[in-house]
Amino acid sequence: MDLVLQLLATGLVVGSLYALCALGWGLIYGTTLHFHVAHGAVFAVAAYYAYVGQKLLHLPLLAAVAAAVLAAAATGLLIDLLVYQQLEKRGAFRTSIFISSLGLLIALENVLAIVFTPDPMRMDIGGLGTAVIIGPVFLTYLHILTVVLAVAGYGLLAAFLKWSRWGQAIRAVSSSPEMARTVGVNLGKVHLLTYAIGSAISAPAGILVAMDVGAEPFRGTRFVLLASVGVIMGGIGSIPGAMLGGLFLGLLENLGIWKLPSEWQSAISFGVFLVFILVRPRGFFGRTIHSAEI
Amino acid sequence: MAAYVAHYLVMVGIYTILAVSLNLLVGYAGIFSLAHAAIYGIGAYASALVALKLGLGFWGGLVVAAVAGACAAALVGIPSLRVAGDYYIVASFGLQVVILTVFMNWTDLTNGHAGLVGIPRPRVFGLVIDNPFKYVVLSLALAALTYAVCRRLTGSAFGRTLRAVREDEIAAQATGKNVVLVKIVITTISSALGALGGSLYAHYITYINPSSFTLDESIFIASLVILGGTERLAGPVVGAFILLAVPEALKFLAIPDTVAAPTRQILYGSLLILFMFVRPEGILGRARVKSA
Amino acid sequence: MTIEKVSKAFGGIHAVEECSFDVPPGLITGLIGPNGAGKTTVFNMITGFLRADGGSIRYKGEELLGLAPHQVEARGVVRTFQHLRLWGKMTVLENVLLGCRTPLGENVLTLFLRPGRVRAEETAARERAMEVLRFFALAGRAHELAEDLAYPEQKLLSMARIFATDAEILLLDEPTSGLDTDSLQKIVPMVRRLVEHGKTVLLIEHNMELISQLSDEVVFLHQGRVMARGRAEQITRDPALTEIYFGA
Repeated sequence: MDLVLQLLATGLVVGSLYALCALGWGLIYGTTLHFHVAHGAVFAVAAYYAYVGQKLLHLPLLAAVAAAVLAAAATGLLIDLLVYQQLEKRGAFRTSIFISSLGLLIALENVLAIVFTPDPMRMDIGGLGTAVIIGPVFLTYLHILTVVLAVAGYGLLAAFLKWSRWGQAIRAVSSSPEMARTVGVNLGKVHLLTYAIGSAISAPAGILVAMDVGAEPFRGTRFVLLASVGVIMGGIGSIPGAMLGGLFLGLLENLGIWKLPSEWQSAISFGVFLVFILVRPRGFFGRTIHSAEI
Repeated sequence: MAAYVAHYLVMVGIYTILAVSLNLLVGYAGIFSLAHAAIYGIGAYASALVALKLGLGFWGGLVVAAVAGACAAALVGIPSLRVAGDYYIVASFGLQVVILTVFMNWTDLTNGHAGLVGIPRPRVFGLVIDNPFKYVVLSLALAALTYAVCRRLTGSAFGRTLRAVREDEIAAQATGKNVVLVKIVITTISSALGALGGSLYAHYITYINPSSFTLDESIFIASLVILGGTERLAGPVVGAFILLAVPEALKFLAIPDTVAAPTRQILYGSLLILFMFVRPEGILGRARVKSA
Repeated sequence: MTIEKVSKAFGGIHAVEECSFDVPPGLITGLIGPNGAGKTTVFNMITGFLRADGGSIRYKGEELLGLAPHQVEARGVVRTFQHLRLWGKMTVLENVLLGCRTPLGENVLTLFLRPGRVRAEETAARERAMEVLRFFALAGRAHELAEDLAYPEQKLLSMARIFATDAEILLLDEPTSGLDTDSLQKIVPMVRRLVEHGKTVLLIEHNMELISQLSDEVVFLHQGRVMARGRAEQITRDPALTEIYFGA
């Protein structure tokens, strides 16, 4: 029982990380329909921005993290501006956008690997590393902060999308780009904003992991894969769905360890995913994807 | 030197099989798969295991490899291809990760990281294929066979249906085509053929381990297809010839070993991006004239 | 074909409500009504692209509701699209060939194991496709890319494609939209010739003037409900309906 509680807690923490990634990736995918695997590179580079901020620029931790989030948002925005939007101007197909995203992911990850080596780059997290013991469960302040940030991030995003003018523009584009354009929404600007916000909300996940176990260049690939699985399970176009999907995956992975060896974590998540889309392809909250967009 | 060129040609043959079979999916059906290295690996391990544990010959190994590849693809394809959208990319991504995990962790079967050694050489019509020159013949023959099979497929009514599905699957459905079935069939065939490449590889190098079948490898195979051109069947062959020469070219630039692998990856990644800008149809493709 | 009490709601909007009408064989039935009346939704439901919430669609004693589009086609009901959806990057001939019956060539097993029969089937299909193209006066363009055709010819091609399927019931979605008066001369007689050939046509039409020319029977849809049914002259002369049509 103690073990299960520990696994639940860890699952919640990991799920919060996945949720942050899923929220960002899902926002981008739902609005632009770009299969933006390079989001994994943004996730990874955010960690290094924080590392550089703290270790090389000697910024205090909070400032380094804040600067890193902003830098990550800018990175995501630039990727859309300089690569995807340029390709779209040339009439590129969606597969071409995906391939360019894949190219970006590989190239950026490996640049990080050369510059920083593949070894984990650790940061100073001061008191956040202190252990907290709640009954049989062992966590650190950092872990608790992770869950808090995920919830806060979700709340902020949901509020923004619901009440701000730009948020509503994003939702309009997400539900029908044609209609949005007719009512005068500037699609290009909305896309850029979506990338900035999507990157900003997932960047903390990359930074938090780095604060826990060190920044690594190739971690982003796994996270973006799981983010996309989470978004599909939660339902494409649904923000609560992405949150739930991410949390669900985190819990699933960790509870899976209870009975199965830990190397099989990914296999479990993936297996559940396959069964899930067999039974309910639209996910928890997604709109039904009728193949007829006639 | 001659042995070196022979090795290059054997690898070109193997990668032709991999790339041409992937092109059936990416170029003709418009389905992007990130799992082709996993399929490659399944073919290699299946063939190696039946040879080592059951004493089955090369040809038997080929059949087992093809069946294993087909089953893996069908397992993933059937749930994800029924749904419109990008589900197959995610599913194939996941398949790649899971298969690699199996290779690394099901140590009883696959020996984990240590891999399988001592895979026997093929016997063809009583002749043992034991030097690079004989392998060149075998490899290129199998590549030609794979190419011929793909040609028959793409030139047929089935191939026509594939292209229609790729361009507009709703119109295809309205015209009576069972789009889901077509996608599942082509995914299965693509993987069966790709697995043959794995079998050939296993019996050539006689040693396999999981590190040859990673996501990086999937991306490399995809690069061959994209570089060479997805519109023509011969495109991937050109891609194979060119990209396989790259690691050798890099060696000439005296890049230190630790940095060699990431440098190659940066090169492939950049090539992918560059090609999408400059020539998305690949080297052999017809330049698309965009209609207004 | 009989459509009975078919309904479809999206969120809170009732796109189609308790819609019932018959499509008599060998005639042209026009489905008319103002924008947003639910006409395309009805087409989508008949051909399996949308699942109706309730009701029944019966043809030759079989229930069509709930079938996938390719299954509906197999039972003899096909449609065109308002936005054509031709395979632009494929030739005119290929577009029509895709409508022809080529089960052996499309089955991978027979493709490799029965090459002779596959070849014979393909030859026969090509002959039939050329015949169809001649019927639609497109034979001269057989090897051009569909996207290179002029708009009126593309409209004809989309009809040729479904004609080649040998389906008895042809659903035409706005066959005359976007055409100038000259081009209309090509299309309107073509629709009549389809019926002369034994087909049954259900078409969506916006142009009130063309309705009498193009339809024998008319079904008037408004806000998802069937407002009126009857012979074309009756409907087009009814002042109340005309007001709904132009007033809406």
